[in-house]
Amino acid sequence: MMKRICCLLFLFPCIIMAGALRASAIQQQQPEFPEPPQTQETGDIVLKPTPKSDNGIFKKNEEIVYRLKITNNTNSYKQGKISYLLTTDEGKKLRIDSVHLAIRGNSSKEILVKMLPKPTGFYRISFMVNTPDYDDTVRKVFGVNPQEIRSQLHKPADFEAFWKQSRVQLEKVAPRYRVLEREDLSTDRKKVYSVEMHSFDDLVIRGWLVIPRDGKKFPVHYRVPGYVVSLNPNMDSDDFIAFDINVRGNGNSKDVINIGTDNYCLVNVENKDKYIYRGVYMDCIRGLDFLCSHENLGIDTSKIFVEGGSQGGALALITAALDKRVKLLTMQVPLFADIHDNMNISASYVKQVFPFKVFRRYNDIHPGFTWDKFYGTFDYYDPQNFAPMVKCPVLMGIGLLDQFCPPRCSMALFNHISSTSKEYVCVPNSTHEVNMDYFMFQNLWLREKFRIP
Amino acid sequence: MKTRRLFTFVFCLLMLFILPYKTFAGFPIGKYRNLVVPSFSYYSQTDHFDVHGNYIKGAPGARFSSFSANLYVGYGISRRLDLIISVPYLYQVNNLGQGKSIISQGAGDMVAGLSYNLINFKYVRFLSVQVSGIIPLYTAPANGNSALGLGNNGAEVKLMYCGSLPNFIADKGYFNTEVAYRRYFNAQGPDQFSFLGTVGIPVSWHNQVSLDVTVFRSFSSNTTFNINYNAERDYAFVKPQLNFGHQFSRRFSMFLGGYYVPYGINTGLGYGGSVVAIFKL
Repeated sequence: MMKRICCLLFLFPCIIMAGALRASAIQQQQPEFPEPPQTQETGDIVLKPTPKSDNGIFKKNEEIVYRLKITNNTNSYKQGKISYLLTTDEGKKLRIDSVHLAIRGNSSKEILVKMLPKPTGFYRISFMVNTPDYDDTVRKVFGVNPQEIRSQLHKPADFEAFWKQSRVQLEKVAPRYRVLEREDLSTDRKKVYSVEMHSFDDLVIRGWLVIPRDGKKFPVHYRVPGYVVSLNPNMDSDDFIAFDINVRGNGNSKDVINIGTDNYCLVNVENKDKYIYRGVYMDCIRGLDFLCSHENLGIDTSKIFVEGGSQGGALALITAALDKRVKLLTMQVPLFADIHDNMNISASYVKQVFPFKVFRRYNDIHPGFTWDKFYGTFDYYDPQNFAPMVKCPVLMGIGLLDQFCPPRCSMALFNHISSTSKEYVCVPNSTHEVNMDYFMFQNLWLREKFRIP
Repeated sequence: MKTRRLFTFVFCLLMLFILPYKTFAGFPIGKYRNLVVPSFSYYSQTDHFDVHGNYIKGAPGARFSSFSANLYVGYGISRRLDLIISVPYLYQVNNLGQGKSIISQGAGDMVAGLSYNLINFKYVRFLSVQVSGIIPLYTAPANGNSALGLGNNGAEVKLMYCGSLPNFIADKGYFNTEVAYRRYFNAQGPDQFSFLGTVGIPVSWHNQVSLDVTVFRSFSSNTTFNINYNAERDYAFVKPQLNFGHQFSRRFSMFLGGYYVPYGINTGLGYGGSVVAIFKL
């Protein structure tokens, strides 16, 4: 009897482990945010390149290695060519190489693609298969030593004074907070409040405050919105008060500014004093004002973290830079970072994407509008120029395939951050997003930094 | 004779039962965070299993009772590495019948070690290894036997796999499995192998129930039963334990547990309970 039990004793965890590994493998095959089906998954010949480093980041002086799995999904023998093209992230060709391909039907093979170590930076690599009756290309990006990426700051001489003056103007606007409990949206575990306040230029902005009923005082998750994104009550967290603000022109803050994504970032782009983002940045500060003036709602003002993705990532960084009431900063794929280099990188895209798709279109149809004029305004708003002012701990997530926020620009921004406690997470197969692993880690990171269970 | 045997298996049981299993689970504590877990256990036994696993009724009036307290402290040195220390204090009453009893009390075997998270599976499940040293906090007499422990230093290596249950089984449920090998540094060992499986399921927002199953085997070249319970080194048992946990706050929870030993070799047939407080600091 005891022998059997002892056998079971060791077999059981082995079975569980095997199951877990299997489950993990299956999970890895199924992305958390499924992307549209791609040619590589359904084609006659499928290429699956995997970088030697899990996150697609290589060290300085490290050989660049990809394992390329080639699968022939047809019944017939195929012959042709496998090649790869390596370029900088601005499209400059660095290397092209190819090998002969011969593969039986319904079979797969692997080849190792090795390249000499590369200088600091990000690189695009395209893997191509060409046969007489089939062509396909799979594009990847890898980074080398990104923590050493340096970019030039184009900070106007009166940058600090400009934002100091903006804060003065904001402070002159009486907030006139209105906090209304929304019983229709509340649950037995959380109270939901709609919050309204007056902000820069006396515009009314609104947000959502969600307070767990289970406790008296909570740290705060202050979320700022993506580009013309409507934030709704965040019911996800049991351990944080969630405050989601809709800056002007977003969500339920469209009383005065209500324009679409094509023009939002162009409102008064030719006038640095009236550019829409001046008010937007100040809206984020006004949201902080609200939090810090409502401790009576259970807000732990010593534990406020600001978070956002894309435009929200930029807004989060700027909020943390301008206001030391923010204790932690987490951002994903921060938009508009290192706008000068972003322009150079985006110039190499076959098809333009946001934000330079919008800026270039504006430039095309406004003959008097020069790029110097654009930077004359935007240099006051480039998140990179705020980065040295960030002193609190920072976590950033980036997607290597992101064209909206090229990885080099995000890392340049990151490297300008003054904080000595900063980390980044690189998701190799993501475009303008991160994955669930990032958010799981972010959750642990926040608890670690705030020392909360 | 029987009494000493009872003492032996009960002592060995206690050394296991007093440990608050949930806090030994393979979940990383987290960098810079602390876990403080005081616990109290009670155990009572009148009967036992013999070396063949047969049930043996205890002598009339004989009963072994034990009260024990344990303090477990864990500190997150890094995201993967935790320091753990566990110190027990025992108070045991062995009623021999006919009005005679033996009382022993004092600190038991301290367990101190490091737990390292080998792999995290998407931050949902964790595979960890723990290496610990066992140090007796009492002075064993010249014959090597003590009422408070085996009197030998030892070492333990434990592999732990734990995490969240799939949602289709239980939302916010968890599991923990541990396989451990422990060796006492003595010519007669013992070498001890154990398996612990735990499943915890919330029954309401702040309450949960959990079931632990422990399978334990201690091997020693010394299989002879000795009236001195510390000489008893070769035994085995299976033990299920049912727990109820309540979360008072995000930093403080308590568990109440009860257990019974339905099968064993050279071990007691008894029941017990524990109260475990968990402070997350």
